[in-house]
Amino acid sequence: MEKFSPVGEKDITHAIVSEFAKQFEEYVESDCIIIGGGPSGLMAGRNLAKTGRKILIVERNNYLGGGFWIGGYLMNKVTLRHPAERALDELGIPYREVSDGLFVADGPHACSKLIASACDNGVKFANMTVFEDLILKENGQVCGVVINWTPVSALPREITCVDPIAIESKVVIDATGHDAQVVRKLEERGFVKTKGFGAMWVERSEDLIIEHTGEVHPGLIVTGMAVSTTYGLPRMGPTFGAMLLSGEMAAGITLAKLRLRE
Amino acid sequence: MKIFLYDDSIGEEIDIKEIAHYLGQKLSKVKVKARGTPFLFNLSPDKVSDYAKKIASTKIQEVNRKVLSGQEPLYAEIEYEKRRILGKTKAFGVLYDGFLLQSIFREIKPRVELSLEFIHIIFTNRLFATWDESNKKYHLRTSIYGIPCLVSATGIVEAPAKPKEYYLLKQQYERLGQDLSKLEDKFRGSFIDYGDKRLTEVAKGYVMQAVFYSLTGDPFCEDKGCRLYNAHWQEELIFAQLKAGYEFCQWHTKLLGEAQASLG
Repeated sequence: MEKFSPVGEKDITHAIVSEFAKQFEEYVESDCIIIGGGPSGLMAGRNLAKTGRKILIVERNNYLGGGFWIGGYLMNKVTLRHPAERALDELGIPYREVSDGLFVADGPHACSKLIASACDNGVKFANMTVFEDLILKENGQVCGVVINWTPVSALPREITCVDPIAIESKVVIDATGHDAQVVRKLEERGFVKTKGFGAMWVERSEDLIIEHTGEVHPGLIVTGMAVSTTYGLPRMGPTFGAMLLSGEMAAGITLAKLRLRE
Repeated sequence: MKIFLYDDSIGEEIDIKEIAHYLGQKLSKVKVKARGTPFLFNLSPDKVSDYAKKIASTKIQEVNRKVLSGQEPLYAEIEYEKRRILGKTKAFGVLYDGFLLQSIFREIKPRVELSLEFIHIIFTNRLFATWDESNKKYHLRTSIYGIPCLVSATGIVEAPAKPKEYYLLKQQYERLGQDLSKLEDKFRGSFIDYGDKRLTEVAKGYVMQAVFYSLTGDPFCEDKGCRLYNAHWQEELIFAQLKAGYEFCQWHTKLLGEAQASLG
């Protein structure tokens, strides 16, 4: 049996720290920061990174993929409606048409393929990292975000008095799902007023999420379920097509903005 | 008297030409014209933005909170309404305050046509509701009569209630992530659905309600078989518009005859 290289503990630690620090320093400024590593955030990041842009996804959990691992009622089959199967084709995710226009894929397979595709295209991640605030410059333009470690924010403030840090980007995407955390932070500042959810109306909600995906404030694009919260659209059922296509659309809109600035 | 029919993103759900033909048969002395989009007089970019903003501001956020006239919409809501006005999207699902929406459509009409000489009927795929002060809630509507009259294809599907069993099973299917199309198969035919070939036939009844509203001030009839019956259940709707065996009750048949004669 081939033996493992004789590497000491300090070498391992050194490799982790130096590689992390190198990437972190490089991504203190990026083209686009995406808050939320669920299906819409991953799809947006993947498509943007494909064009060679520097993309950082901030994810509060250790794992990526959000709710894309499982469908409704904790069952790990994810459903998508036509025309979202084209995103599955693009990502190389196997699926089956169970009825006219309704497609089913394995959650773990679909989610892992999407994460891998984002990574393959060059997206970088800051996981276990929470979004705390926005950097706003002239005329309220969004120019970056303030972040901290998830464990710090999860513990009582009395024992974790750790200041956050700020990272900059040309565009920020809110892909935080139902919470719409980034848009809500803007709301706290009086820049926008979110509308909350409408009643669940799955037949129509996906179309409307795509229709409303876009810039909600200078420098801030909203995608996925965060669109629903921002505009008071009907709440969605356990179907993911609009998440992928909304991410795709957010990438297109972001790219157009980046090109204008270049 | 002239009747103008408009198409607000109705697509193929309702055949407006067939409706115009039907009206021509019922009211042979009245000029009926299908005019296309209700925005045909006001499509300058400034006007499009203005109306898009006004329409976006009529959106209902919560069914138990009344929309205040002039509420401020967000940018993407206005952009969505712009695309709708310009016919660039047919996506629907937003719920509007019906009376506020009607007042915007009224504003679009040329002033000379805002008289009892003209009946404007707008077919739309927008879903609207009206506020009920007695229980402080919005209620979905299929139609709103006045100047102009609005008839919603989405409303025909969503407003009259489906069988109770349907809603109970739907809730169960959604919770279990089951295929809703199987539920549709189970109840097929018992309610009007999207893409339903019967929509045009059903819409004829609502058009006649609009005509009677303009002629008499009362669009409805209490006879469950009369096309002017104000159906609250899909079963009632299907009976009144498709199954009753007669179009109008004796009273409204007589009124229609008298109207024909006087219009001549």
